[in-house]
Amino acid sequence: MEESVKLISTLSLSLIITSYFVIELRNLRYSAYAYILQALLMCTLFVIFARQNPGLYYWALTAFVTKVVIIPYLLLRYIRRTTDHEFRPFIGYLGSIVLISIIVLVLYRVTHQYIEFLAPTPSAMKEPFRTNLAVSLTIFIMGLYCILSRRDAIKTVHGLLVLENGVHLSLISLTPLLRETAIIGIVTDVVVAAYLLLYIIFGVFKEFGSTDTFQLKGLRW
Amino acid sequence: MNSEILYLFVIPALAGTAIFFFGNRAPLFREGIAVLGSAITFLLSLHIAVCTIHGEVLSLFQEELRVDALSGLVAGLVAFIGLIAVIYSVPYMRKEVEKGVILPGRLRSYYGWTMLFLSSMLWATTTNNIIMLWVLIEGTTLASVILVAFYWNRNALEAGYKYAMLLTVGITFALFGCILLYSGASPHIPSALDPLKITEIAKISGKIPKSVLLLSLALLLAGFGTKSGIIPFHTWLPDAHAEAPTPISALLSGVMIKVGVYALIRTVTVFYPVYPESIKLFVVVLGVLTMLVGIFMALMQDDLKRLLAYHSVSQMGYILVGLGLGTYMGIYGGLFHLLNHTLFKALLFLCVGAISSVAGTRLIHSLGGLGSKMPMTALCFFVGALAMGGIPLFNGFMSKLTIFLACAKAEMMWATVLAIITSLLTLFCLLHAGYRVFMGKAEDVTNQANENIKEVSPLMWGGMVVLALLCFVIGVYPQMVFPILDESARAISAMTAHP
Repeated sequence: MEESVKLISTLSLSLIITSYFVIELRNLRYSAYAYILQALLMCTLFVIFARQNPGLYYWALTAFVTKVVIIPYLLLRYIRRTTDHEFRPFIGYLGSIVLISIIVLVLYRVTHQYIEFLAPTPSAMKEPFRTNLAVSLTIFIMGLYCILSRRDAIKTVHGLLVLENGVHLSLISLTPLLRETAIIGIVTDVVVAAYLLLYIIFGVFKEFGSTDTFQLKGLRW
Repeated sequence: MNSEILYLFVIPALAGTAIFFFGNRAPLFREGIAVLGSAITFLLSLHIAVCTIHGEVLSLFQEELRVDALSGLVAGLVAFIGLIAVIYSVPYMRKEVEKGVILPGRLRSYYGWTMLFLSSMLWATTTNNIIMLWVLIEGTTLASVILVAFYWNRNALEAGYKYAMLLTVGITFALFGCILLYSGASPHIPSALDPLKITEIAKISGKIPKSVLLLSLALLLAGFGTKSGIIPFHTWLPDAHAEAPTPISALLSGVMIKVGVYALIRTVTVFYPVYPESIKLFVVVLGVLTMLVGIFMALMQDDLKRLLAYHSVSQMGYILVGLGLGTYMGIYGGLFHLLNHTLFKALLFLCVGAISSVAGTRLIHSLGGLGSKMPMTALCFFVGALAMGGIPLFNGFMSKLTIFLACAKAEMMWATVLAIITSLLTLFCLLHAGYRVFMGKAEDVTNQANENIKEVSPLMWGGMVVLALLCFVIGVYPQMVFPILDESARAISAMTAHP
């Protein structure tokens, strides 16, 4: 059991590292590969938890189909049709690494320490759910940071996907018995949202000649 | 078996799918199917609303779908404005094709997405499952993204990107809130019952840990608040409402943001039995700030659609204040204003659509003297303006008065005073804009289109007249909507009456 807890904790923490790569890699294609790796790690985590709760096998399969296959296919397709170089963000590489590291360290420590404010049940306060919840909230905020700090529209979609992964990860600890219809609903929304966003960004690229969101200023005030 | 609940959202979904598959064969087919589908949906919603007025609760699939008076009210409004918007779309979009703004083939996409948009909103009002509620609220965003960016020009694409990104991020907060609420409730709900059902969660809300409850409340307010256009999450609203085709603006402003409020009511009212005073104060302050920011931004606009969009932000503030008070009178006033705002805001957007359709612009400084050329549109616009300004004999007066009184009764006189000031500024802003457009003289004489302007077709002003009449009739005889509003307010109280 202790072995399993250690493995889960290691996998959970490696999700934070893959989020770093998704956010900080300036090549959008490599960033998408990092996202695939993160999705695979998430699926592995679901499978490990599923040994105790078989309902999670379904969640693992759904996550694999959507996060490892469909979404990366869409991402790579639109990156190929636009550009694979991220438009220069307004926070430099070093500054961004320092800033995000501070956010991660503080957030992870605080949420792990004071999990009783976040965990609704006594079981969610125990390991490995405790680490899982702290990691999911950290990834959620990392995704939000990516959306807020990046100028490149495709990169903001990467941020959105990381943010969504954070919420989906929390489902292990918070709602392990979620019904299939709800799971399908949640992941379908993510896939459709990613597709529509990329479709519009492609339109923006054709119209503006760039995926720089700073050019989208025509409608201020 | 109350299968009419199922038909309510399946019929527009089928109509939308049929348009996507066969809509290119004959232009009349896509328009005919859209009008027919929305008309049948409206009749169904009317039947459901009538059933729920008498306190009946319709349900299907072991209460997975559940319609009480509140759902009946919102579904009825969605279907009603949906029908008017679809009928209005026929001449409006044909003219857009004539002007070369869009290609004829794109009308299939327009009507197809519109019907799916209606279906998603109607489904959202009938579900009793907290996760499905989130899924469907996000579904309403996804079904309308292409409609917001429909013109596919620079402004439309910018609006579409902001709309999809901001609402998807915002709504993800709500997913976290829904999950926490479900997770906190499930240990206290007997295994025979379903902890995903909102009605079950509401019964045991007092047993959920306080810290989790507060966190859920914050996340739900941020998530569904974004959808409802509440500050500081309102920035998508003026762009999307202004850049979408006008019938869609009427749907977005008239009903979609109300569906966001509906989700807020369904989830946040779960907290009413354990409602600390500080949260009540926070929600009322948020509502008042929304009112003020909305009206000050509206006063600065030259674009009629952006002006109306900022008014929507402001009016959502009134609804939030009423609901946030948590008293019967507050909830009643909030729901009454929700109904009224649906009517007069859809009316005003349709009027602006008529103006821009014939004048080719919606900038106030380029318009003038349209009153004599477009008398029906002018009359309808002023009815809408007076209604939103809260003038007696029009529907906005009674709902605003109810909210003022509810605030005063809750000993929040400061909120009453600020709400009255906002109302006066609203009246000034709209009458000033109306005067310039219909009675004033255009500053920008380069707009040659002003010369050939004439009233729009009856298919367009017909819907406007119906809405204007309703604004007046409800204003003169507000008792006519009392039964459904009273039953809706009671439905909220009943859901949360358990300790």
